Amino acid sequence: MALFMAEMGGALVWFAFPRFKEGEFGGIITVPIADIPAPDSGPKDFPAARIWLVNLGKERLADERQPEEYTVKPGVKALYKICVHLGCLYKWVPTNNRFECPCHGSKYLTTGARIDGPANRNLDAFPFEFMDAQGNVLAKSGLMGSGNTVEGDALEIPSGAVALRIDTGQRIQGAPNSKPGGGT
Amino acid sequence: MALFQIHIPIIDDIKAQGLVPTLLAKTDEAVTRLTAGLNVGEIRSVLRGDPPKRPNPRTKPHADGFWMHMRPTYFHKKVMPLYPTFRLGWLAVYFLTIETITGLVLMLWYTPSPLVAFENMQDIMSNVPFGMMMRDLHRLGAEFMVMVVLLHMLRTFITGSYKKPRQFTWFTGGVLLLLTLFLSFSGYLLPWDQLSLWAVTIGASMAEATPVIGREVNLLVRGGPDFGTNGLLRFYLLHVFALPLIAFIFVGVHYYKVIIHAHSLPPGDEQVGEDTARKVPMDTRSYFLPDVATKEVYWIVMWTALLILMVTVGGWHAPLEPHADSQVTPLHTTAPWYFLWLQGMLKLGDKVFWGVIAPGILVNLVFVLPYLEVGPSRRYIHRRVGLTIAAVSVVAFSALTYMGTPFYAVSSSADQEVVAALVPQTHPGPLRSTPFEQLPSGEYSATQWKNAPSGGLRELLELFQHELHKYDKELPDSEGIMIIEDWQIGLKKVTLRVLWNDGDNSFAQNVFIHQNSGYEE
Repeated sequence: MALFMAEMGGALVWFAFPRFKEGEFGGIITVPIADIPAPDSGPKDFPAARIWLVNLGKERLADERQPEEYTVKPGVKALYKICVHLGCLYKWVPTNNRFECPCHGSKYLTTGARIDGPANRNLDAFPFEFMDAQGNVLAKSGLMGSGNTVEGDALEIPSGAVALRIDTGQRIQGAPNSKPGGGT
Repeated sequence: MALFQIHIPIIDDIKAQGLVPTLLAKTDEAVTRLTAGLNVGEIRSVLRGDPPKRPNPRTKPHADGFWMHMRPTYFHKKVMPLYPTFRLGWLAVYFLTIETITGLVLMLWYTPSPLVAFENMQDIMSNVPFGMMMRDLHRLGAEFMVMVVLLHMLRTFITGSYKKPRQFTWFTGGVLLLLTLFLSFSGYLLPWDQLSLWAVTIGASMAEATPVIGREVNLLVRGGPDFGTNGLLRFYLLHVFALPLIAFIFVGVHYYKVIIHAHSLPPGDEQVGEDTARKVPMDTRSYFLPDVATKEVYWIVMWTALLILMVTVGGWHAPLEPHADSQVTPLHTTAPWYFLWLQGMLKLGDKVFWGVIAPGILVNLVFVLPYLEVGPSRRYIHRRVGLTIAAVSVVAFSALTYMGTPFYAVSSSADQEVVAALVPQTHPGPLRSTPFEQLPSGEYSATQWKNAPSGGLRELLELFQHELHKYDKELPDSEGIMIIEDWQIGLKKVTLRVLWNDGDNSFAQNVFIHQNSGYEE
């Protein structure tokens, strides 16, 4: 009897579980190089991929609000545009030069580093690769940091690249970060 | 000899007794059958308030009738006044009934699809006769139901009515509390406006914090990575079918237990450790017919009248925000008020601990309370610790609720906050509720608010200037400008611009105001 109920319950969950299709969010999304913002300019919104594309230059990396624990690298990063706290869409606030979540007030820098709670980790990011006109992979993003500060890294645009391919199915969680002002 | 013979007994009766006496007797018989035991004379005697005959014929419907057998034949006189029950349990059932009726009616004009749900809401509010009233009643009833159920729990705790033998009644009440919250919350998504989408997104993301199965639970309720067609359909089915079905079953179990154990007497009226609620001497009985029944009819009439007055002359209306937009989260979005405490706790820190573990412990404490707290006395004087904990909990939940509102710790940049004070993103706000004709086109400076050409505009500009003053530190040398343009017939474009640092920095936002927006008061 209990076994039967468990089987039925399992079947119901299996039945009700959502299915994913390729080509929609969850698959690979291609962005032309021309659409990538210039280094140190504001982040750019890509609704279909659910990302903010940032291009980190010297100025952004020198931001003194950046918590020290986390590795930073110049270049492009694809930040998942959903707040890691409770799923609201954080937005870019140029006046304060940071991302702010309208729901509970979490704040992030363009590097993805959390500088104010209640979120408890840095922003999630997607892995990506640069392609040239022939369709060859010129560079592939990986991970940076060590121990509990590992997160998705940034890549500078290699010469000859024409497109950026973002894999929205492989979300990389941001590193834990829960201190006021940022830090583990 | 006839092949068959029709025999109609009433004709024999009419022949024997005459037409009128026969009809009267037959009517009496029909009434007696319908009421399962009361004839016309007895009903009149009940309504007149005559003392019952011996044996009491008014207990017969309780024994023979389907509906009446669910209600007790008599109550103890001591539970009849407002204290100790405050009728809160009864009110919860009343609101469940109101919600069921108004909900069924609203279902006629509602399709659970993101393509048309919002349009349906606008139809219900503007084209369907009594549609707006039904929606307002449904929403208002839901708010009342949550409040009443919470107060009912608090009252049951204060009078110690959860103690032996009523532990299981309390337990089923806990289930009903959760069901009430989920029923109300699942209904939030259905209008498919901005409030729906984001309040429910926040709520569902709390579930995502559950260790191990969080992601799966989240995908199951949303029907995808975010709310869309599947999520709306799932919430709709939960709201109109699954949750009400479970709620009705648990109301049945809960009320059955209430009847089995009878309403607990006021704590001071029985010996410590005794439960005498079921021993009701003849002289302390208050019979259901007529005492309780008439009181209930009176309460139904009064509460229904109150609800209808509130949504008509009282001007209380269920809010409807702009169409849901999965690309824009409105500034200052909050969860429904009864989840604000949870949102407040989430601001304290870790999402797994404060969003899942702490509330989980609290909910489980509610369920096991009567099995843990087994002190024999229900008297207030013996339960100082328990009552203190109740008082502290009420204060703590109020504080957490306050922390859940946007006033605490959530703010955007000063320029955006100033504009949001005039055109908030979660409710109509001052600019949208200003009468259309009081917005003459032109360019106005907030510093010159005294010279504004209309009263409504003057108030807006004064508020604008006042808000800018609040942020003197963040916005030095600031100036607020409001530009009103005639955009189309019956449509104005209002631009709110904030300049600071002597015009070096600026922020602007456009709002379109329609003549027939219906926001003006």
